[in-house]
Amino acid sequence: MIPTIEASPEEIYDIELEKTLLQANAKLAKENRAQLDRHDITAIDFMGAIGSGKTTLIGRMAAKLKDQFNLAMFNGDATTVDDVNLIAKQGVPTVQLATINGCHLDANLVGKALRKIDLNKVDLIFIENIGNLICPAEFPLGSRARVVVVSVTEGPYMVRKHPHMFLGADIVVINKIDLAEVMGVNVEDLARDVHTLKPDIKVMLTSCKTGAGVDKVAAALLAIKESRADA
Amino acid sequence: MHELSIVSGIVESVLNFVAAQQISKVVDVRLSVGELTNLQPEQLCFCYTALIEQTAIAGSKLEVEAVPAVVSCPHCSYQGPPKYWADALSLAPVPTLQCPQCGKATEATQGHECAIKTIKYVA
Repeated sequence: MIPTIEASPEEIYDIELEKTLLQANAKLAKENRAQLDRHDITAIDFMGAIGSGKTTLIGRMAAKLKDQFNLAMFNGDATTVDDVNLIAKQGVPTVQLATINGCHLDANLVGKALRKIDLNKVDLIFIENIGNLICPAEFPLGSRARVVVVSVTEGPYMVRKHPHMFLGADIVVINKIDLAEVMGVNVEDLARDVHTLKPDIKVMLTSCKTGAGVDKVAAALLAIKESRADA
Repeated sequence: MHELSIVSGIVESVLNFVAAQQISKVVDVRLSVGELTNLQPEQLCFCYTALIEQTAIAGSKLEVEAVPAVVSCPHCSYQGPPKYWADALSLAPVPTLQCPQCGKATEATQGHECAIKTIKYVA
């Protein structure tokens, strides 16, 4: 609330406002979360750089989990619909969140997307954030877990170059491990960097191309979904 | 450039305040920004100057005050500044969630804020 004060002309006033700016987004994120909880839906947010393999990973997860759960996917993309089409092909209901020039999804956009699907017919929602390793970190969406996808093709220093992204994440997937050797990237070093930033984070190694490690990620997502059911 | 969307929010709040209070001139807006927010003061100020042109608060200044991170450890009860990652090859120290005392995972209790603290104005 903005406090009201009496002011007389030509005098300089210093007023305490204490208005939190990220609060508007955080409040909407909480509303999204409450709405999801009411419908017993778990939402998982995937963040990571362009080309890290977010869509391919979500596609793999959809293939593993779609017989067990009713899925939906929200795809944040600045301009294209290529990614969302890949998931829609699997018969998963999708909503495209076109941010045009925006560099991140926010809780308001996700709230709008929730109104586009039948919440009574969905158990698990995958949200693909905009390909960006900085901005999405500031904007919680209401998801139960945040997954960061990094790939060895982004080089050996990508974790330490984008530390903020990992501080708020629950799972880190290091993808394209089939290319680690040609890239000259030591996967264990990347994992150690992640744990230096956040010791309790779950790090999983995958190649979404060969399918290595994909089952483990699906099991981790399942565990998140089930921890909700126990709660 | 998430600074732009955040500054849009600041400018909107200040303009609403100015309209509601019928203020003639805003002198400065002081913002407190947590160490863990990843918001760059210089970019915040640049966006502010760009966005307030031709508005009722044109000519006012944005001042950014840094709020240090504080972590709390559920394992060893440590409370205080975070452990910094010394060899991250970074220009600035990188705060981590590793406990400086026991090395386990801490929770941040301060450093995520981004709030308008005060607005200095002429009525």
